[in-house]
Amino acid sequence: MDFSFLLDPYYINILLQGLLTTVILAVVSVAFGTVIAIGVALLRMMKSKIIRFILGAYVEIIRGTPIVVQLIIFYSLFHVKVILVGSYDLSPFIPGMFTLFINSSAYMAEVIRAGINSVDKGQWEASRSLGMTYGMTFRKIIFPQAIKNILPALGNEFVTLIKETSVLMYSGVAELTYQATMIKSQTYGFMESYLVAATFYFLLTYPTSQLMKRLERRLAKSDQS
Amino acid sequence: MTNHKLIIDVKNVSKVFSDGTLALDNVSLSVKKNEVVVLIGPSGSGKSTLLRTLNLLESPTKGEVFFDGISLTDETTDINLLRQKMGMVFQGFHLFPHLSVLDNLRIAPVSLKKLSIHEATITSESMLKKVGLLDKAKNYPNQLSGGQKQRIAIARSLTMSPEIMLFDEPTSALDPEMVGEVLNVMRELALQGMTMVIVTHEMQFAEEVADIVYVMDKGQIIESGSPEIIFHQPQTERCKEFLKRVIEKK
Ligand SMILES: Nc1ncnc2c1ncn2[C@@H]1O[C@H](COP(=O)(O)OP(=O)(O)OP(=O)(O)O)[C@@H](O)[C@H]1O
Ligand SMILES: [Mg+2]
Repeated sequence: MDFSFLLDPYYINILLQGLLTTVILAVVSVAFGTVIAIGVALLRMMKSKIIRFILGAYVEIIRGTPIVVQLIIFYSLFHVKVILVGSYDLSPFIPGMFTLFINSSAYMAEVIRAGINSVDKGQWEASRSLGMTYGMTFRKIIFPQAIKNILPALGNEFVTLIKETSVLMYSGVAELTYQATMIKSQTYGFMESYLVAATFYFLLTYPTSQLMKRLERRLAKSDQS
Repeated sequence: MTNHKLIIDVKNVSKVFSDGTLALDNVSLSVKKNEVVVLIGPSGSGKSTLLRTLNLLESPTKGEVFFDGISLTDETTDINLLRQKMGMVFQGFHLFPHLSVLDNLRIAPVSLKKLSIHEATITSESMLKKVGLLDKAKNYPNQLSGGQKQRIAIARSLTMSPEIMLFDEPTSALDPEMVGEVLNVMRELALQGMTMVIVTHEMQFAEEVADIVYVMDKGQIIESGSPEIIFHQPQTERCKEFLKRVIEKK
């Protein structure tokens, strides 16, 4: 094993750029994904059977197909031309980001829906029987309870998403796995470059999931107060 | 009774659930102001369903329910406004666990009546006093015993100054030693002239507070009358049969 490339600022720079791209992809996707997911989850609570069916299908189809396949489909669907920002071509990001938004929104919509459903039906009835409207009940009674189940699960989705950004290497986004592949082809250190990439991923995911566990315990405790 | 104003009028209501269960079969009943109405009957006879149609937690499949002369199911009816005037107490309490006791009481009046926090606090505290739990104002629901939770649930409904209170087996989920404290609060309400509809298995209590008792079986009201008649000279075989079974269980 030869890890000497880690002493070369050139390779370090490539790796750190990849790491930064991965972090940005994950954070932006989780943010946008959550916004879409909240919309999807709320719309799925509507009375209209058609809307519920369409969004239910959306969630199930996205969750039931591999993200790589989704990426390839969106990639071929979009045919994005070169979009230069400075000397940087952003076009590979478009189908990639789109895939991540769509994918994470489907998983998170399900997490949010489950969190809302986990609140006892009696809470709805007690609130509605006081004369509170559907919207008021949702905002003041149901959501504050649901969020305790939703937040930790969203955290886990974030961890998953950090790992899944790696599929974007297939569409030419210079994220961590892509950069590792580049280093491999220049140094011929096949195993080494991917071991380094794996370590970087783990350094991102492990603290995040530990943080989420802490948060989960805190939220559970606040229930006892 | 001096005042004969009808508060609730149920006219030929039937309820068929989506799975085909006929829970109410052409039921009619009315509740006058200041009256205490008790619903009894075997499990599955439709008592809860009937009570829940009174504030439209269940909507009738057929027939109509009127509150203060207003049809609940009329398209122009604002059901939320009517529900503000009808308190409901559940077997399972359903206090809001993320809110303190005081906030459980204040949330509806502050959200709906646009009371200031200060005004709502005053009302809430007087209701807490009424159920004897003013010292629990800052506590959270899961720090309370079952009997205390139910008394808070009653107080929560009272803060909206309802015209009528609906109770669905308010003591059935309680340990026996806590039943009394809840019944005492209800007795007090009855004495103060609160209009109430109560579903209960506490026959002694029913006999004591009821102005009129309705006996249900298989989605129908099979007999109604004063507690003296229902509990001591029931007219129908089905009613006699039911009461015999209840008393044997004791
Ligand atoms: N949401 C529902 N969906 C389908 N069937 C229901 C539903 N709620 C009640 N039922 C059925 O309707 C009938 C009447 O139920 P209800 O709860 O009104 O009885 P009850 O007299 O309150 O009984 P209990 O004393 O056990 O509370 C029962 O057969 C019950 O199984
Ligand atoms: Mg019942």
